[in-house]
Amino acid sequence: MSSVMRAIWDNTYGLLVDDGQLAVGAIVALAITWVIAHSGADIISENSGWVLLGLVLALVLANLYRAGRNARRRIG
Amino acid sequence: MDLATIAIAATPAFLASAVEFVEATTIVLAVGITRGWRAPLVGSALSALTLALIVGTLGVAIVTVVPEHLLLGIVGTLLLLFGLRWLRKAVLRFAGIVALHDEEEIYRREVAELRAQGVARDRWDWIGMIVAYKAVLLEGTEVAFIVIAFGAKGVGAMNAAILGAIAAGIIVIAVAAVLRSPLTAVPENLLKFGVGAMLSTFGVFWFGEGVGAEWPGDAASIPLILGSFLLASWLAVRLLNGLLPEGARVEARNV
Repeated sequence: MSSVMRAIWDNTYGLLVDDGQLAVGAIVALAITWVIAHSGADIISENSGWVLLGLVLALVLANLYRAGRNARRRIG
Repeated sequence: MDLATIAIAATPAFLASAVEFVEATTIVLAVGITRGWRAPLVGSALSALTLALIVGTLGVAIVTVVPEHLLLGIVGTLLLLFGLRWLRKAVLRFAGIVALHDEEEIYRREVAELRAQGVARDRWDWIGMIVAYKAVLLEGTEVAFIVIAFGAKGVGAMNAAILGAIAAGIIVIAVAAVLRSPLTAVPENLLKFGVGAMLSTFGVFWFGEGVGAEWPGDAASIPLILGSFLLASWLAVRLLNGLLPEGARVEARNV
């Protein structure tokens, strides 16, 4: 039974996570957006979607830059 | 079913499912050609039944039980994680850091492995059935996930997402049945790039809606978000191309 549960967990995790840091970063970006959206001011709450977009794009670029640097170090 | 529902639910479900069906078909083809067709077809059918059960129970339960705002938040989170995984890999592939997905190579490897195991024609081919079942289930889980995610906005969206996935399945299987070879002509790497950007887009859009964000023009913002992801990905490919010296990329695979 535990091996079946383990297989289901591994499959689900593999479905959503390729790079742990990117996944954690995305969760943090979502949490920041949630906090901003519930901070009170309507104008901020209404524009929280753009904040999320900005955070995620910055995260993607930073993560890929890190991957590129790691690859360069590996072959250097 | 209106045009917006079809565009939002059926199109991404169709494209993402087509990619997954191509990958599953390669394995089923390899099994069928090396070991005979009966067992892999039964394995694929059983797997399709399992997936229909997952979508039928989990999908319907999620749509009917979870409140809409919470649902948008959950689906947005899952789509964003799922989409970023595809997008990251696609960018690394296009930058030459990770090897491009090669259906022909996967097919050849699978055929060699299956031939090495041998087959007794007078007995039921359990190996062929299990290999096909696992391949279809593994790729199909992603299809089921996408269908549930894009169908989460209601019955119309669910029907559109299911139709999109089924249409992709029928087309891919029909073409593979005619050609009897892996579908290498499908621009899989490019499709994965586009689908990754699309899934990430809907993740941001729906999570935003879930927390009460106002998107200007509602769904009209989607092309703008998608464009931002495509632009960032293009920039990332250029950045990585500049970072790695020419000719050294293959050795840097699998970061």
